[in-house]
Order: sequence, then structure tokens, then C-alpha cells
Amino acid sequence: MQRWKQYGGLAALFAAFLAAGYWGFIATGGAVPWAKRSAQALQRGVQEGSGALVDFGRGVVVAGPIRKGGLLIEFGGLVVLLVVIGIGLYVYVDRYGGFEDDDRSARYP
Amino acid sequence: MAHIHLGEGSFPLWALILWTLVGAGLISAVVYRVRKGGIKTNQIALAGIGAAASFAIFQLNIPVWGGIHMNLTGLVGILAGPLLGALIALVVNIFSAALGHGAVGLLGANTLVNASEAIVAYYAFKTLMGMDWDVFPAGASAATVGLSAGAFLMGAIIVISGVNGSALPRGDLTIAVAGLVGLNLGVAVIEGLLTGFIVQFLASVRPDLVGLTDRDGHEEPSEVTA
Repeated sequence: MQRWKQYGGLAALFAAFLAAGYWGFIATGGAVPWAKRSAQALQRGVQEGSGALVDFGRGVVVAGPIRKGGLLIEFGGLVVLLVVIGIGLYVYVDRYGGFEDDDRSARYP
Repeated sequence: MAHIHLGEGSFPLWALILWTLVGAGLISAVVYRVRKGGIKTNQIALAGIGAAASFAIFQLNIPVWGGIHMNLTGLVGILAGPLLGALIALVVNIFSAALGHGAVGLLGANTLVNASEAIVAYYAFKTLMGMDWDVFPAGASAATVGLSAGAFLMGAIIVISGVNGSALPRGDLTIAVAGLVGLNLGVAVIEGLLTGFIVQFLASVRPDLVGLTDRDGHEEPSEVTA
């Protein structure tokens, strides 16, 4: 397919979704975190609000339930565990070609 | 980034049972397919890494559109496939619920939402690549479409279920949910762009990871062109 059609389609998709996103942003309270927005909208309906679409001043923070519940160490531990398992599996498979010698496919009885 | 953030007891009991059963049915079908058809071991490794990445980014609140989190489920679906993508959605949701991010009672509903993102993204990517699209627009479009499918499903689940304690009539609830779905579509663009760049990069250095070449041919990666 011609490249301009691919990128044109992608641009149209993005434009439509960004417009929908902006409407949703305004209609559901403006610049409030998702969990608060969700609870507020579902309990009280749509209430228009405003605020910055992007607020880098706040930085990237861990989700409220984890941060406020004092579960940051558990969160970090789980992430490290999953990363170690994932990379370990990847290295094993890459080095030895899989868990079975013949067809590199994990089949179960 | 679709994810139902309501607390325990937000859905009526019948809805809780319904979505749990449907979610369990989906996972059962996936496990059956995996047991019957088998999966490539490199996909298992990718699934492990995908689960780690998805779980980590799930918990990070990004200061865009008021404060959102991404899922990377589109990327997970493209890399690990629809079967493992659905299982990753379950694993990520279990871990998240264990940490208080998402209700335990909504595991079935949230697994359905996130699994649909991975499944739709995978098939959309395959379809677009089959239509001879470039990797970046195919990856970005597939992830965006996949995430939008999850957003619509999330909205449908909430509207069908109703919300305990909400005084909103069904019509007003639908409008409120439409606003949330709309916002999700905007966020899907951000995540879709990110996914497009990642898939484009992976296709440049290890095309076998995104199913563009046979895995045995990965020893001679091409140059990075992203």
C-alpha cells in the first residue's frame, strides 16, 4: 500500500481519537487523576472542568493505592521479580533454543 | 489504558458473577488452545518480559490528560500473541489488584478489557502487515485500535452492570461513561505512538521478535533505521 495512504489513515485515526479524548477530558472534570475522574463521573455524571492537558510539574508517580498504602517495596519487588524471570527465560531460550531440543516448541501432554 | 478503577462492591452481584464467568471462560479457552496447540518457547520468554513491562507501567501515573496510566497491552499482544497476551492481562491484573490498584472482584471484567486490547492489537497488526503496511504505521494503528476496543468494552461493561450507589439514571451513566471512553481514546493515541516506535525499533534489530522473519534468521540483524 502507498505510504501516504498508510500515514494518512494513521493521522486520521489519531485526529479523531484526540478529538474524542479532548471532549472526554473536558466532560469528565478536566485535569484530575483517572481514579478520581472515574469515581466522580460515575457517581455524579459529566461535570465540565478544565486544566492543563500536560502537567510535567507533578512528575511520574506510582499509582495512589500503592503509594498511599505503603506498598512501594512490594511493587518494586514484583517488578524486579518479573524482569528477572523474563530476562532469564529470554537468555535461556536464546542460548539453548528453547525448552525442548527438537522443535523449540513447548508442548504439553 | 482502559482499566476499571472502581472499588469493591461497585458492581451488583449478578454483574460480578457474569464478568467473572466470562473472564474465566476466556482464560479457559486460551489455556485450552495453549495446551492443544503449544507455543514457541521464545514467546514464553517474551511474555515474561512483556508482563514485567506491562505491570510496571500499569502502576505509573503519568501527568498527561489529568493523570493516566498506560498498559502496553497492545505491544504485549503484538509481541507475545493473543493467547499469551490474554494470560499476561490476567497476571498483571492479579498483581495490580493485590496491590490495591483495581478491585479483586473486578478481575474478570478487567482481564476481559485488557485481554481484548492485546487480542485486537495482534490481529490488527497481522492484518495491516498482510496489507503491506510499514511497521511503524501498522504497529501504531494496531495498538491504537486494540486499546480503543478495550475502552469500548470497558464502557459497555460499566453501562450494562450499573454502578452501586450511583444515583445516575442509565442514560446519564451512559453519557458519563462515554466521556471516560473518549478520554481513553485520546490516551490510546499516546500509547499507540509509543508502541509504534518500539515495534519499529524491534523490527529493525530483531525482526523475528515481531514475526517478520523466521526466528533462526536473527543472527544477522539489520541496522537500526527507526
